[in-house]
Amino acid sequence: MPGPAIHVRDLSLQLGASPVLTDLQFSIAGGALHCLIGPNGGGKTSTVRCLLGQMPHRGSIEFSWPGGTRGSIGYVPQLIEMEKTLPLTIDDFMTVISQNRPAFTGTRRSAKAAIDAALERVGLTARRRLMLGSLSGGERQRLLFAQALIPAPDLLVLDEPMTSLDEAGARLFEQLILEIHAGGATVLWINHDLEQVARLAQSVTVIDKRVLAHGATATTLTADMQRGVFHAPVAGRAA
Amino acid sequence: MTPVYAWLREQLMLLGEAGLLPSVFFYEFVINALLCSLVIGPLLGCVGTMIVAKRMAFFSQAIGNAALTGVAIGVLIGESYTAPYVSMFSFCLLFGIVLNYTRPRTRLSADALIGVFLSISLAVGASLVLYVSARVNTHILESVMFGSILTVSDLDMDVLLVVTLITLLAGLPLYNKMLLGSLNASLAQVRGVNVQAVEYVFIVLVTLITVACVKIIGAVLVEALLLIPAAAARNLCRTLRSFVWTTMLLATLSCIGGIWIPMQWDIPVPSGGAIVMLAAGFFIVTTLIRNLVPGFREARL
Repeated sequence: MPGPAIHVRDLSLQLGASPVLTDLQFSIAGGALHCLIGPNGGGKTSTVRCLLGQMPHRGSIEFSWPGGTRGSIGYVPQLIEMEKTLPLTIDDFMTVISQNRPAFTGTRRSAKAAIDAALERVGLTARRRLMLGSLSGGERQRLLFAQALIPAPDLLVLDEPMTSLDEAGARLFEQLILEIHAGGATVLWINHDLEQVARLAQSVTVIDKRVLAHGATATTLTADMQRGVFHAPVAGRAA
Repeated sequence: MTPVYAWLREQLMLLGEAGLLPSVFFYEFVINALLCSLVIGPLLGCVGTMIVAKRMAFFSQAIGNAALTGVAIGVLIGESYTAPYVSMFSFCLLFGIVLNYTRPRTRLSADALIGVFLSISLAVGASLVLYVSARVNTHILESVMFGSILTVSDLDMDVLLVVTLITLLAGLPLYNKMLLGSLNASLAQVRGVNVQAVEYVFIVLVTLITVACVKIIGAVLVEALLLIPAAAARNLCRTLRSFVWTTMLLATLSCIGGIWIPMQWDIPVPSGGAIVMLAAGFFIVTTLIRNLVPGFREARL
């Protein structure tokens, strides 16, 4: 199934006294590879959390799914701390997200094939018996990607998934994202790597509390825009 | 269910008389208590793994303390001294739900808020219990606090069975969702888990279980049996599967041993105390194994 189009109208978010987002207005075409960019603290993650229904916001967010039936959403969150005290392996975690039958009674045969495939794709097969608490940052990010692959996503939402990855991991993730996009899914990707955005994204939205720019990557991500919005953070990161 | 219990008791007593089971099986109340422990052990063990995952040990402690208040209210409004279930269930459910409702609505961290509720429930519970203790035999209150197998009746067994059934029907299909909700709420929500609703279901189940186990283990010590077997198993296990089954096994052994050992050797301790001391023994042993046996040292994170 092709991915949904997303229409955001007058989206505002207020946390306490400070406005986080003000009157966001943009649309993402179905099946697009779309990047959200903007300075740190500009509200990119908050925008995504509003889209996922996790923040009380004003305005409307509409998903138009082809055929009217809601497809599946894969979500790769920002690198999160994983439970360190529980005896929970990668396999256990994947079982927990794949089936209703309690994970401690074993993995269903029907779920096992999908888990094997997902771990293989992110390169975690050899590490599957390790406990979550002993994983490196890069391994945790691979695991978070693996869970987003089950079930196969029609909309893939990624929140800076590559921050702790080594170069090989980053290449693997890029390839996976392109594969999923090629399969018809809509990809919404928070990405601070402007070179990568320019190379891969079809459209971008630049957010700093409000929409600074939105449109096709070539016309939106101009040299002027990059200097104006990202001058300080990009220079800082390069240093 | 009474005819079933009677039949079971009869069979076990026959085995006891024939010398196939220890002599304590001659007593009806011991058999009642042991039957209960076969249910309570796996139940508390399984729920205990989730309590540890959700870091809610002190929540169940607070519910246990609230059960004291429940008993006192029951005595005040004229319920039976030995089984004031209506008051216990209603007060504890109210208490648990209010606590969970308050949690996201204060600026306190979860442990601080639970600490506040725990203190309140202990203060009110202890005061009310001492206030009503003038009216009833204090041994009854002692048994509510620390457990007593002498008072386990068919009604208590019915209550326990019903609560167990509810937990199986409601809890098992939600086990993975509860676990995912506690690992990462945001991820769980995207994956279609109604995190808040699942949380309330868990709170209600823990409350029901706590109240149903008060007779055997006592209001003050139920929390220990939810926590200690899981902590002991955690020392040795490296997968979810071994963790849950080991916890259930240790909890069951603690219950059976805690009831049987004092009876067999005439040691005058309350059943709850014996059960928890046995569980603590398992914890000490597994901690030693973890630190002394080379193969388990790697399990340390």
